[in-house]
Amino acid sequence: MTVPSTAEFRSQLVAWLDDNDLTPPADRSLQGHMRQFARVQRALYDADWGRYGWPQHAGGLGGAAILRAIVGEEVVGRRLAEPGPYSMLEVLAPTMIDYAPAELAAEMVPRLLSGEEQWCQGFSEPGSGSDLASLTTRAVQRGDEWIVNGQKVWTSFAQYSHRCILLTRTGDADTPNHEAITAFFVDLDTPGITVRPLRTMHDVDEFCEVYFDDVVVDASRMLGKPGGGWRLAMDLLPYERSTCFWQRIAYLYSRFDALIGEVGKIGGLGSSIDSDLGEAYLALHTLRCRSRATQHRLADGHKLGPDTSIDKVLLANAEQRLYDTARDLLPGAVELDNTDWRTEFLYSRAATIYGGTAEVQRNIIARRLLDLGKE
Amino acid sequence: MDSESDLAPDSESLQLLEDGLRKTMLSTSGAALDAALADLGWADMLADMPDLAIPLVFRLLGETGSHASVLNDVLLETIGGLPGGTPPMPYAGGGWVVWERQNSDNSTLGGLPLRQVPDGELMRLGDARRAVGWWLVGSARAMLTLARQHALERVQFGKHISSFQAVRHRLAETLVAIEGAEATLSLPGDDNPDLTALLAKAAAGKAALTAARHCQQVLGGIGFTAEHDLHHHVKRSLVLDGLLGSSRELTRKAGAGLRARGSAPRLAQL
Repeated sequence: MTVPSTAEFRSQLVAWLDDNDLTPPADRSLQGHMRQFARVQRALYDADWGRYGWPQHAGGLGGAAILRAIVGEEVVGRRLAEPGPYSMLEVLAPTMIDYAPAELAAEMVPRLLSGEEQWCQGFSEPGSGSDLASLTTRAVQRGDEWIVNGQKVWTSFAQYSHRCILLTRTGDADTPNHEAITAFFVDLDTPGITVRPLRTMHDVDEFCEVYFDDVVVDASRMLGKPGGGWRLAMDLLPYERSTCFWQRIAYLYSRFDALIGEVGKIGGLGSSIDSDLGEAYLALHTLRCRSRATQHRLADGHKLGPDTSIDKVLLANAEQRLYDTARDLLPGAVELDNTDWRTEFLYSRAATIYGGTAEVQRNIIARRLLDLGKE
Repeated sequence: MDSESDLAPDSESLQLLEDGLRKTMLSTSGAALDAALADLGWADMLADMPDLAIPLVFRLLGETGSHASVLNDVLLETIGGLPGGTPPMPYAGGGWVVWERQNSDNSTLGGLPLRQVPDGELMRLGDARRAVGWWLVGSARAMLTLARQHALERVQFGKHISSFQAVRHRLAETLVAIEGAEATLSLPGDDNPDLTALLAKAAAGKAALTAARHCQQVLGGIGFTAEHDLHHHVKRSLVLDGLLGSSRELTRKAGAGLRARGSAPRLAQL
């Protein structure tokens, strides 16, 4: 099968989306979102749209990753699927393709792409947030198996997930942190795993605590080499900040359109509203321009690295600016009415925390991009 | 266009051109720089490869802290005016200025030869706004370079101040603003060139003002003296932000456009 050009691809996809009604049902719970995401993925996969941009040896049809960004933009921009669950796919599938034994990737990745399974990412721990390399969940080798004990937290969608890409400590006390971490691909129905959803301030149980109590993982499920887990985690970040961000930006634009529409209905004093909308637009536009350049750098074969911390700072700022503007221009929409604006406003408070805090991003920019040396 | 790509220099000759321009700008300014740029083929560059010439020349004006009246030429190219003219340019607050081609004493902050005039004609400002935008990010980069160097050299409490997180984060914030603005300036924007240029100018003005604030603070007392170069760039940024509409005004204008249209244009496409 030949891969179409970017413009052809988009127009054919748009035509297909117009012909195939994937409108979400009224169920706005997290479970409803997960079910809808699986439905959309299944349909996209069966019609091949969900397979472009992924390598053929992992169930894809080949072509540039930018095709995936286009699918994500159209699907999320039309609000057919929420960006959260979608982002897990965009982060974890490339990681599996890069690090899993070829047979394991060939077996498992299509299940994720087709919506048959949901996966999660077991990185953060109660004692290891910004300082991820200090994580203490331990894996000890016993013959052909590894025994895992410890606790993860902020594990998005773990309660709906079949598998987890898990970071563990395998090195001893003398091993430097960055060589002491090993990644595994773990079935979440393995005995000894307990998942406990966390209630957040926006009333959605997206994040979970995951407990590992003498969990047996086969050695064939190791991703990369022993001690290679830090490398995997670092290589994963650029995926989190390229294709994923493009989807999230499409989502933020769709919410911005909704805000402009609602503001238009209520009217009000012109020039300060114009300034507020303009500020939000400038932040979103700047982010989108930067992210576009990042997608193109990735497509041209560049390796993404600390430069994506700039994308992350721009995204967090633009997202919080958008929802601050919504709260300013739709008085009471967050506080008095139980609307989507409330949930989203509250969720946006985490934008400067998850995926590497605003402070960690600035540390990376100072150290790696401005070459300011150590703190 | 094919004819344009035939004319586009390779990266090596581009680097030579950049080096030559930088050297010239570092050694001269004002009317003398205009003359030097004319000798270097500025008129042909602007006519034949504006997408390359405008970012390069205007960014370097910012980085070097030099100035020339070449914005006139960009505007004249847009409106088809006669070479050598000085079309009135809009300034923040509804004012108008002309950019004198001769050096002159005037009241403009930081020594740019801008003279206020009572009136002017409305015209398309896309290319000119993009040009001033590149100038602004060049100035912002110059300020960041000065502040970074100072942070690496200055010792207080027995440490280089570059090791303090508060200082590092100000410089990081500056780089984010600059890189964001450059991304908006680099967007082709064929679908809506005027809005693309308006937003790019707004982002660039904002980036330069952000850089001025943070870099001034990192430089501390020395950056407040006339002996240090920072103040040239701060003043240049303030003046250029107001020229062709300030970041604040352009942002408000973009917001008004959204309300009229009822949605937000996605100008950046993959």
